[in-house]
Amino acid sequence: MILVVAEQRGGTLNRASWEAVACAQQAGAGEPLTILVPGGGDAARVLAEAGAGEVLSIEHGALAAYSPDVQVAAVAQAIAQTTPRLVVMAHTYQARDYAPMLAARLRAPLLADVIGVKGAGVGATFLRPMFQGKLVAEVSPQGSGPAIVSCQIGAFRADAVAKGTPAPARVLTVTLDTPSRQTVEAPFQQARQAVDLGQAERIVAVGRGIKAQDQIAVAERLAAAMGAEMAASRPICDNGWLPMDRQVGSSGQTVAPKLYVALGISGAIQHLVGMKGSRTIVAINKDADAPIFEVADYGIVGDLFEIVPALTAELEKPR
Amino acid sequence: MTRETLEVDVLIVGGGPAGLSAAIRLSQLAKARGGELLSIAVLEKARDPGAHLLSGAVLDLSALKDLLPEYQALGAPMLAPVGRERVYFLTEHRALRAPVIPPPLANHGNALISLSQFGRWLAAQAEAAGVDLFTGFAGQEVLFDGTRVLGVRTGDRGRGRHGETKANFEPGVDIHAKVTIFCDGVRGNLTKQLRRQLAIGAGREPEQFAIGIKELWEVPEGRIETGTVIHTLGHPLRHEEFGGGFVYALPDRLVSLGLVAGLDYHDPLFDPHLAFNRFKRHPLLARLLDGGRLVRYGAKALPEGGWNTVPRVHADGALIAGDAGNFVNSVRLKGIHLAMRTGMLAAETAFDALAAGDTSAGGLAAYQTRLEASAVRRELEPVRSVHQAFGYGLVPGLLFAGAAMVTRGRWLGDLHAAPGHTKMRTLRWYYGIEIARATASRDLAPDRVLTFDKVTNVHYAGTAHDEDQPVHLLVHTDVCTSICGPEYGHPCTRFCPANVYEIVREPGGETRLQINASNCVHCKTCDIMDPYGVITWVPPEGGGGPQYTGM
Repeated sequence: MILVVAEQRGGTLNRASWEAVACAQQAGAGEPLTILVPGGGDAARVLAEAGAGEVLSIEHGALAAYSPDVQVAAVAQAIAQTTPRLVVMAHTYQARDYAPMLAARLRAPLLADVIGVKGAGVGATFLRPMFQGKLVAEVSPQGSGPAIVSCQIGAFRADAVAKGTPAPARVLTVTLDTPSRQTVEAPFQQARQAVDLGQAERIVAVGRGIKAQDQIAVAERLAAAMGAEMAASRPICDNGWLPMDRQVGSSGQTVAPKLYVALGISGAIQHLVGMKGSRTIVAINKDADAPIFEVADYGIVGDLFEIVPALTAELEKPR
Repeated sequence: MTRETLEVDVLIVGGGPAGLSAAIRLSQLAKARGGELLSIAVLEKARDPGAHLLSGAVLDLSALKDLLPEYQALGAPMLAPVGRERVYFLTEHRALRAPVIPPPLANHGNALISLSQFGRWLAAQAEAAGVDLFTGFAGQEVLFDGTRVLGVRTGDRGRGRHGETKANFEPGVDIHAKVTIFCDGVRGNLTKQLRRQLAIGAGREPEQFAIGIKELWEVPEGRIETGTVIHTLGHPLRHEEFGGGFVYALPDRLVSLGLVAGLDYHDPLFDPHLAFNRFKRHPLLARLLDGGRLVRYGAKALPEGGWNTVPRVHADGALIAGDAGNFVNSVRLKGIHLAMRTGMLAAETAFDALAAGDTSAGGLAAYQTRLEASAVRRELEPVRSVHQAFGYGLVPGLLFAGAAMVTRGRWLGDLHAAPGHTKMRTLRWYYGIEIARATASRDLAPDRVLTFDKVTNVHYAGTAHDEDQPVHLLVHTDVCTSICGPEYGHPCTRFCPANVYEIVREPGGETRLQINASNCVHCKTCDIMDPYGVITWVPPEGGGGPQYTGM
C-alpha cells in the first residue's frame, strides 16, 4: 500500500498534493492507495475522488496551525497504524521542513525532490537531481520499512491522476498529548509577487531599445495580440517603466516559456541566464552583433518600431 | 525605533586577514591567561566568510607562522609554493625578460593562495577559537561619545529603494565594545569616518591608491608550470601610469592574472578595465589563455601610499589594522602578511589595555610603539616614498626604487604626492584641441572569448544585491552633466570596473547619470578617484556583494 500525505492550510488543499497522488499512482501501478490528510477538513472531501481506496483524516486542535514536531508525531502514528510500503508527499516548504525529521524518527530512507519514476511496483527506481540539476541520480530505497518520497513541484502532472469513485473517509485517532516545543507565529508573507512569469507560456520582453516609457505600449499591443505576458530587462524596471516583478534575469525571475520574444534587448549575460531555457526565442534588435542573437532561434536585425507594429497587425487580422 | 544593543569586549569590523588574525590572536591570549574568556565579535559584510576577499595572491608566510605555527596541520589552503619566477617588460607586441629578478619581487619561499579561500579558513580557525563571527552584517557608522569610539551600528535590513521600510524590515544593531578594531579594508567606510571626525590623517602624507582587476582562468593542459609567478611592467600602461601585470599559475590548470593601475593617472579617458583587456591581448597572455575559459572576475582597490600615509592608528577606544591603515608594501606587491601582523599587534595592544582597564587613547597608544618596533616598520619605512617617486614617471620611479633598496631608504628624503584624484587632467588640458578625436577613439570591441565587456565580467564576479534597497553609492552634488561631462568626459563610467555608472541619454536628448548599484563589486575606486570627490561608497544591505570563491 502507498500512503499519500496531503497538505492543507485552513482546510484548503495545497494543489501540489494532486501531483503527489500522480506520483504515487505511477510508482504503484495499480497498488492500493491511501490518502492521509493531517488536519482533515474540506481538503479530505476534495481528495475523495483521487482514486484512493480510503481517505484518512486526523482531526486534532494541535494540527490547526502547522508545527513540525506535531506534524511528525501525527504522521508517524498514521504510518505505524497503516504500515504502507511507500509514503509520498509533495516537496513543499512544509515537506522540506518536517520530512527529514520524520525520516529520522522512523529510521526510514528519504528520497527528496524526486522528479520521475522508472518502472513500477517494488522494483521501481526514483529519479532525483543532484549537483544543482547537473546530474540526475537513479535511487531506490533499501530496507524493509516504509520509504518516504517527496516529489518536486511540477514534475508530476496533477491532471494525470486517474480519478475514481469517491473513496470512503475515515478519521484516524492519534495521541498528540505531548505539548509542542515550538510556538507557531503568523506565516511570514514576502512582498506579494503579483505576476508569476514562471507560469507564462508566451512572453514579450522589452529592453533598452524601447527608448521611452510611452513606447512600451507598442510591445504591450503585441503581447495582447499574442496572449503573452509582459516582461523586461533590468534597465526598464530600474527606470520604473514596468514593475520590478516583471524583471527577467539573474536579479529577477527565471522563465522558460514556449515562446520568448525579446524586443530591443541586447542580451547581457545577466538577462540570458533568466530566459535561455525558453523553448523558442525570437529576438528583434538593431545591432546585429548583440549577444541575444547567439541564443535566439529566430533573429530580426532591424527597427523594432517598424517590425513590431507589422507583426501585431498580422496577428490581429481575423482568421 | 528601538534598536538592540549588544555589549562585547572587543569588536572587530571586517573579516579579512587583519580582522581574523586579530580575533585569533585575542582568543589565544585570553586562553593562555586562563580565567574569564573575552567576548570577541567580528562583523563581516559578506554573506559567507572570504566572499569579498580578492588578491593575487602570493603570501609571505612570516605572519602566519607566528600566528598559527601549526598552520599546515590545520589544513591552511596553500595552493602551491612559488616556483619559477619571471619579470617582463612589455611593449605592445613584445616581451623583454628581465635578466635578474629584482629582489623585492623575489618570491622564493612564499606560497600561492586564493585569498578568498584563505580568509574562509582563517574564519573557521577564529570560530573554532570561540570568536563570534557575524557574517552578512556591515558596519554602517561609528558610534561616538565625544571623541571616544563606543562601537559600531550595523546597517538596517529591509529598506526599499526610497528608504521606506519593507515587510522584512529590521533596524541595525548597536554593538558596543571596550575596544573596536577597524579592519574595514582599503578605503574602509568606517575608517573614513574616523579620519573625518577624529582627524587621524592630520600631518600624514595623502593616501595613494591603485586598482587591481583580476580574472581566474582555466587553461589547457601544459600551458604553464604550476607555481610560476610572472610580473610585468610597461604595456598596456604608459610611462606616466603606475602599475603592472601579474600571472600566477595555480594547480588544476587554473591561472590567476591581473593588472594593477595607479589611481593617480592623468588621462581622464583612461579605463583600467580597457587596459586589462589590452593586457590580455598581448601575445604573452593571449597565447597562455588561448583555448581557455574565464572562471571568475573581480576588482579591488589597494592602498599604495606606504608608511608615510599610515594615519594615527589608535584613538580613544579604537585601533586600525590592515588595508584600512594603508599597511601594504607596494614595492613587494604584498599586504596580506602586513594585515595579519598589524591585526595581531592590535590584538595584543587591546588585550593589554583591557587587562589594565585603560582602553583610552593613552592606553592604546602602545600600538604605535609596537608597530615601530615591529617587522612592519622595518619593511615599510625604507620604501616609504617609492610609490610617490613613480609620480615622476616610470623611469624615475624605478631608479628611486633601486636607490631605496641599496640605501635601505636611509639617505633618501621623503617625497610628497598629492591625492591621486587631483592628478586627473581635464580633457582640454590633456588632449588640447584633439578632444573630439580622443573621445571618439574606440578600442577593439571585446570578442567575448578573450576579452569581455564590463557587464559580462560583472556576471563572473557573482555580485548580487537585493534590487529593492537604497542606492549605496551616494553622489552628493550633481555635477555630472553640468561640469563633469564637459570637463572630464564622465570618468566614473571608465574607472568603475563593474559598469555601475552609466550616462543615459533621455529621449529628449539630455543626459543623466544612472547608477546600477547592484553591479557594484565593492572595490571603492569611485570613492577614491572621482575628480570632484563627490562619490561616497556606503555598505549596501548586509550579505550583498561579490562572490569571490576561489579568487
